Amino acid sequence: MDNKTVETISYLARLKLDKDKKDKITKDLENIINFVDELQDINTDDVTPLANPLEKTAPKRKDFVNSKDRKEVFLENSPQSDQDYFIVPKVVE
Amino acid sequence: MSIKYKTLSELKELLEKKDISSFELVEETFKNISSSKTNSFITLNEEVALTKAKEFDQGECEGDLAGLPIAQKDLFCTKNLRTTCGSRILENFIPPYNATVVENLSKAGSICVGKTNMDEFAMGSSNETSYFGAVKNPWDLERVPGGSSGGSAAAVAEGLVCAATGTDTGGSIRQPAALCGITGIKPTYGRASRWGMIAFASSLDQAGAFARNAEDCALLLNHICSHDEKDSTSLSNDKENYLENINNDLKGKKIGIVKEFDISNLSKEVQDSFEQSKKIFESLGANFVEVSMPNIKLSVPTYYVVAPAECSSNLSRFDGVKYGYRAENVNDLEDLYIKSRSEGFGDEVKRRILIGTYVLSAGFYDAYYKKAQQSRRMIKNDFVKAFSEVDVIMSPSSPSSAFKIGSKTEDPIEMYLEDLFTISSNLAGVPAMSIPHGFSKNLPIGLQLIGNYLEESEILNFAHQYQKNTDWHIRNPDFGDNS
Repeated sequence: MDNKTVETISYLARLKLDKDKKDKITKDLENIINFVDELQDINTDDVTPLANPLEKTAPKRKDFVNSKDRKEVFLENSPQSDQDYFIVPKVVE
Repeated sequence: MSIKYKTLSELKELLEKKDISSFELVEETFKNISSSKTNSFITLNEEVALTKAKEFDQGECEGDLAGLPIAQKDLFCTKNLRTTCGSRILENFIPPYNATVVENLSKAGSICVGKTNMDEFAMGSSNETSYFGAVKNPWDLERVPGGSSGGSAAAVAEGLVCAATGTDTGGSIRQPAALCGITGIKPTYGRASRWGMIAFASSLDQAGAFARNAEDCALLLNHICSHDEKDSTSLSNDKENYLENINNDLKGKKIGIVKEFDISNLSKEVQDSFEQSKKIFESLGANFVEVSMPNIKLSVPTYYVVAPAECSSNLSRFDGVKYGYRAENVNDLEDLYIKSRSEGFGDEVKRRILIGTYVLSAGFYDAYYKKAQQSRRMIKNDFVKAFSEVDVIMSPSSPSSAFKIGSKTEDPIEMYLEDLFTISSNLAGVPAMSIPHGFSKNLPIGLQLIGNYLEESEILNFAHQYQKNTDWHIRNPDFGDNS
């Protein structure tokens, strides 16, 4: 885990780290990765990965509208909206 | 009449006998909160709570928990009541709907007095990562209450409320319950709906309860747990009445002690309390069996791959567009995302998002994420095997009692090891709880009881039988000598 890797993953996560905290966070991340590296030593041949502890698959339901259209309510929570739209900085020239 | 430290059942009885009105109860609750120094609450719900109390007093509201004030962890969405998840990014977020757990408790007639403080996005074991300031432990204001549900645990321990909700992803109910000297339970994964719970790690998150004893926890679970079509991982099994099976004899029951949980390096008080509790269960007729769970030592590293991976995915929704904090003075859309997230999240949340992003990134996925999911299965298999031999598993809830505020913030791994005993239950998805069972220098110590899948009643029964024969759970910060 070096500065370059941290920069790459920060960008992937759309995060920018404060300059004065960058070294500390890089060191923390390195320690955490070293800590979880213990997993590399275990034999997991033929072990099926477990994603959901109960191994349930998502149940199917009928595809129908079951709630009212509450567009206004949800738009109200946006930092910036106008009529039917969320407003963001211009993305097309 | 002082309502401080009264249990849920005691207050329910006082209301039923009309010895106190709900209005008086709620009014007194806010008075106590206003003089509290623990910083347990982020947002209060005074006006609505007092109105609901009046309605109850006029006979307009019914239910198992009618007229009783409770607190909600600030991770549950509450309609028209600010829900921050302890983060700046949701500082002004007012949800337009209730979480299913909140809705269930409201239908049972309970009154939400406010939203409790917590580690930011439930990431922490000390409540120090909250944007709204650290919560203090009512037993010693210089110490942490544990986390992430530290505000809920401290509020119950201080006697501000008789019950509160919590969520538990790696120990976030059990560890604060232990450090605050109260009872807390996390049911089986899927037993309580996650709908309206702000997601941290979806395959581990589970709602639960804090109260002054196991009986009250059973009553709360009766309402917290439900099948919910809105949560695709919600279990459809019939719901039990958790109060029905807490008075069973423990004669012949088998308690598993995990061989690989080494407690010999823990403090003398933690070890002594554990030995004492074993004797109590023995006197109640239970037997102890050593169970080997060789993969349990992999729990913490497994968790710190799985949880950050899920967190990095879940928290990608916070982008400053549809709700939550939006940064100002941005150049373009990408800059808006980056600045809003960077200014909105605190350091621990950023650390976990970065770890998650790293372990899920191309080239590392198999080495970390897949590997962790495989070791997760091995841990689960250990539980399945252990529960073919024993009825419950017993361990300390946390390695030590409450530590000083600031003493573990510099080293994330030291903080992560706080959850050494609790994390494995989340990975396996089994129910688990913490009950107070001793003190170390006037600070409470917790005992963890882990149950088999859907056997909440079993651990509640063990806890209730224990509490009928001990008085640790009735001690409180004003109790006097707790040595």
